[in-house]
Amino acid sequence: MLLLDILISGLVLGGMYALISMGLTLQYGVARIMNLAYGEFLVGAAFLAFWLYTAPGISPLAGLVLAVPLAFLANWAIYRWLLTPLVRRAKSRGQLEVDSILATFGLLFIVQGIALVIFGGQYYSYGYLSVPVTVLGTTLALNRLLAFVFAALIGVGLYIALTRTRTGTAIRAIAVNPTAASLVAIDVRTASAFAFALGGALVAVGGVLVSMFLTFNASMGVVFTMKALIVVIVGGVGNVMGALVVGLALGVIETAVTRLVDPGLTLAVTYALFMIVLLVRPQGLFGSALR
Amino acid sequence: MTLARTPLIALGVLAALLLAGLPLVASGYVLSLAIGMLNFTILATAWAIFCGRTHYISLASAAFFGIGAYAAAMMAETVPWPLVLIAATLAGFAVALVVGLSTLRLSGVYFVIFTFGLTELIRQLVTWYEVNVAGTVGRYIFLGMAQSTIYWQLLALAVAVLAAGWLIGRSRLGLAARVIGADEVVARHSGIDATRTKVLLFAFSSAIMTLAGAIMAPRWTYIDPAIAFNPMISFQVVIMALLGGAGALFGPLLGAVPLVLLFEVLQANFPNAYSILLGAVFILIVYGLPRGVIGLIEDWRPASQKAATVLLPVPASHDANVLTVADLRKSFGGLNAVDGVSFEVRPGEIIGLVGPNGSGKTTVLNLISGALGSDAGHIAYMGRAIAGSTPETIARLGVARTFQLVRVLPSMSVIENVIPGFAFRAHPVTGNTALAEAQVLLARVGLDRRAAIPAADLTYIDQKRLELARALALEPKLLLLDEWLAGLNPTELEEGIDLIQSLRDDGLSIIMVEHVMDAIHALCDRCVVMNAGRVIARGTPRLALAEPEVVRAYLGEDIDA
Repeated sequence: MLLLDILISGLVLGGMYALISMGLTLQYGVARIMNLAYGEFLVGAAFLAFWLYTAPGISPLAGLVLAVPLAFLANWAIYRWLLTPLVRRAKSRGQLEVDSILATFGLLFIVQGIALVIFGGQYYSYGYLSVPVTVLGTTLALNRLLAFVFAALIGVGLYIALTRTRTGTAIRAIAVNPTAASLVAIDVRTASAFAFALGGALVAVGGVLVSMFLTFNASMGVVFTMKALIVVIVGGVGNVMGALVVGLALGVIETAVTRLVDPGLTLAVTYALFMIVLLVRPQGLFGSALR
Repeated sequence: MTLARTPLIALGVLAALLLAGLPLVASGYVLSLAIGMLNFTILATAWAIFCGRTHYISLASAAFFGIGAYAAAMMAETVPWPLVLIAATLAGFAVALVVGLSTLRLSGVYFVIFTFGLTELIRQLVTWYEVNVAGTVGRYIFLGMAQSTIYWQLLALAVAVLAAGWLIGRSRLGLAARVIGADEVVARHSGIDATRTKVLLFAFSSAIMTLAGAIMAPRWTYIDPAIAFNPMISFQVVIMALLGGAGALFGPLLGAVPLVLLFEVLQANFPNAYSILLGAVFILIVYGLPRGVIGLIEDWRPASQKAATVLLPVPASHDANVLTVADLRKSFGGLNAVDGVSFEVRPGEIIGLVGPNGSGKTTVLNLISGALGSDAGHIAYMGRAIAGSTPETIARLGVARTFQLVRVLPSMSVIENVIPGFAFRAHPVTGNTALAEAQVLLARVGLDRRAAIPAADLTYIDQKRLELARALALEPKLLLLDEWLAGLNPTELEEGIDLIQSLRDDGLSIIMVEHVMDAIHALCDRCVVMNAGRVIARGTPRLALAEPEVVRAYLGEDIDA
């Protein structure tokens, strides 16, 4: 049952990608900030979970209670103090994109540098709930399965919140057109800051969950940023459902390449698919054609 | 930019000669610092040759530098050194062509993301190749090349890159890149082949970076993919170019020299906090010096102006229709924006394309000018089918347009807005001739006294005038005006009508989308009235606009019908 095996392992991995990408789509699609330091916050949360687990012995899932508000506040502060001047200065969306890319590129090296100073370059992992369980004939570690369940719950919760609440509707309106949103009395700046902080909180959840089953080090953030960016663009910028579906698909594709071709070629295959989608549907699979 | 040329060149030659003598006197440490400075000057200048003009941000410098270094490491043992350099450069050029052709057709941000991951992608591919095919993890380089030899090669390359940057800055290619950086749509409608320009410059700049990597390779005795493809290099190159000012030739040099020194100090004294400090420097530059050091010291000297009295060349061809549109169709999703439209434009004729808002007039102009591709139908210009051609091809054939929502190149001066049309039309003129002719065109639209100010500082009306001048610079036979008269006050309207009249007297054919009925009656030989994507009436303005269906489309149902 190799195929079923790939599908289940792939979906479990893809759940993580989907969760991480949903956060990025909030930051890029709503707050219009292309955050190249995004993955660093995932790594930061992973180290926090590691530290909580190894020092006071707090389980990573309980650690979420600390990690999520912390990440929310940190990201809110970054938006408020670091990025708002850029938003004010930008004359167009394109200029804000360029400026935010440059500023967060600098932020990437700062956060990564701090992690390197504290933890060094070596790989870390800890054994939490690494008990094998069998799902539909596929053997999985319990921590992976649990992470997937958490990711699914949070993802579905976010989707419902965005589509069924007033704040969610405001956020989606800004994703479509910030100027028009401000014309119908939506406070774009506050809602953008909220969306950015929420995105940061989501990536922290991703980091804590990922740390339960992956080995990680201080310079791994970039890879996660890349994958999340690819998922967001392929799924259609600002489209939460798109991020969910494409994230799951990416997990399955990567698992298939790892098992069937070569683990060293996953990124190459991901990139090739990314290129094909960009050339055929530049607005993303689930994005609506503008023009 | 407008500095006197001869002393500058003499100064450059002198500086290069002095620098060439450095290895004879300098210590090993100083020489290795100088090598670092030259290397980053080359990388940052090459980066700015593409990115400084087009405003695309490339984070792929490390990828190309790494390709060069690694290719040199693989070949150094078996192939003579000059061949190694040539082969490595070609490899970098080829990779850049592939990357450029596939990503540069997309919007800027996709390009950034792709280049952001390119280094990691190539590193993984090389690692995979080494492990699975070659059966190694790294390469030894036993060339024993002296530091001074590396230094001289880099110095020669640095001089060559600066010279190339200077030449490109004065060429049509450089102008094209600047127009693309200001507004890519305008660039295409001015006859600039944007994709070709971007890919060419990107590949050139990448090939230089590759060559720098190859020259630097012998500094390591052992290279593995992680050393060669160090993402930090992309980062450093961007900061250096930005610190100095990416828009000016010597900007990257001004950034590279102090930053290499700073990094050296940081690396020596705070090896642990190196990355943090680097990030902080970067953020400081982005916030504090968005235009770089050059931006601080740059003072703009307006180009010398002189008015000449040359008349617009009159296109003469009175045999066939200038334009024939037949059964043109275009839909957006379920909306048939243009639904079987046919009309023709004869030489010297002004056609009014009128109709209520949303009736598809602007879409027709977009289809003719190539901004949109049609779903079906034919468009023939001077007997040649142009449906499906790119905007730049159509512009070069002699179809010029203005935009409903004005698009000038805000960062460029008024006269610089007009120059691209001259430089990229079918029979291009450049240099002083273009300047003189541009001045004539500006006089014609009443902007000759504002030639030197940035286009962003013009009033709305003057920006519209500038757009018309830019369109005329293409030497068009057919002019597409999209509500060019909208928003003018009565005096300006009268001047505008006279101006369009004089263009027709020069032999131009014009299609004008317009709501100003006085202008339509005064100017148009015939009208094509559209509603909901279809032509509902045509003929002289008086007759066409009086048709009952036209009145209904504009004003609603007739009450006593």
